[in-house]
Amino acid sequence: MATITCKDVLDRLDSWMGDDPPSDVQAHLHNCPNCRSLVDDLKAIRREASSWRAEEIEAPSRIWTSLKSQLEQEGLIHENGRADAAKTAWFGGWLAELPRPALAGAYLALLIAGAFALSRPANKQANEARWLAASEDSTLPLRAQLTAEQDSFASFNNENPAVAASLNKNLAIVDNYIALCEKSVQEEPQNEVARDYLYEAYRQKADLLAQMTERGENR
Amino acid sequence: MDTDELPEAEAIRLAQQGNASAFERLYRLHNRRVYSLCLRMVGNTAEAEDLTQEAFLQLFRKIATFRGESAFSTWLHRLAVNVVLMKLRKKSGTETSLDEMTEPDEESGGPRRDFGTPDLRLSGSIDRVNLQRAVEQLPPGYKAVFVLHDVQGYEHNEIAEIMQCSIGNSKSQLHKARMRLRELLHEAMRDKAREDRKAASAESGGED
Repeated sequence: MATITCKDVLDRLDSWMGDDPPSDVQAHLHNCPNCRSLVDDLKAIRREASSWRAEEIEAPSRIWTSLKSQLEQEGLIHENGRADAAKTAWFGGWLAELPRPALAGAYLALLIAGAFALSRPANKQANEARWLAASEDSTLPLRAQLTAEQDSFASFNNENPAVAASLNKNLAIVDNYIALCEKSVQEEPQNEVARDYLYEAYRQKADLLAQMTERGENR
Repeated sequence: MDTDELPEAEAIRLAQQGNASAFERLYRLHNRRVYSLCLRMVGNTAEAEDLTQEAFLQLFRKIATFRGESAFSTWLHRLAVNVVLMKLRKKSGTETSLDEMTEPDEESGGPRRDFGTPDLRLSGSIDRVNLQRAVEQLPPGYKAVFVLHDVQGYEHNEIAEIMQCSIGNSKSQLHKARMRLRELLHEAMRDKAREDRKAASAESGGED
């Protein structure tokens, strides 16, 4: 059998640490007290460390309580998941009757508005006017785009009265939620989540109108 | 279905929609491992609680972006390890990379070569307290790999994914961590032997 050195033993430690060493290592360990000591020590460390695995304990319940409160404050979670699911199903059935692009736009607007309505903003700040101005500035380009899209959509309305009736109904839903978002931003202009949702609601309406117009042009 | 029985994949899907019960289910499924990891890394329950909360908070903020490219637990552990390492970096007052959070051999830059001393054996003298004390003295990078591998039982390929390093790097860090632990435990043994000798000598001196 080829003899191996202390360095070889060290280099190959990881490959057999959990098992019995190969025969050449065993032979070396038999004759080398230093390496034997090293291997025994490392095995003892590993054995003690792995015994800690069985001692894993549940984190104190206050962590979840505090975490949940933080998530609610940030508007990331809402209660009564099952109730929400039932509402979604109801809307889903109703909206199934509507044209696909309208469904996508209206559904997204509903999700945005739902999440927004359940978000609970933190303390009111004194500088609401500044926030409101910032909010209006940030949505200005979108609102301009929205006006342009609405003009295009008006001509589509004239040419396709039957489809337009259905689409107008969906747009009214989105508009209602935009109104809700706008109202909330007016009430709590410092709430960044509210402003994000308002921005997103405008964007969704613009997208919806663009899709409607495109659909009309392709007919 | 009761949310306590929700499979992990379904809980992730519902949590991505903001469902509170699904968030709680994910927390219940993973809090023990994350809390233990934090506790072993920092050795202090109050800090471990803060870090566990921070890791889950980051997870839930980002959950909408989870696309399942890696296992959910790997993703969560990566976040938790990063949260702990950031904390340890702040504590040490330095902004360092993982590689810099280790102690390379001063001469070669490689692992220290220590072939042991036959007169001092750790076997039988290692217990939870002195090992935990030694782990706390490890550099953060060593500590993370040691806790993930030897305590939590992760394989090197999983650690490589969690730590975003190579498998070879994970193996090398683990080897260095174990060797450093051995040194620290030997030092502690020597200190204790010295104290015992002093106490015995004081005792015998008092008798004279």
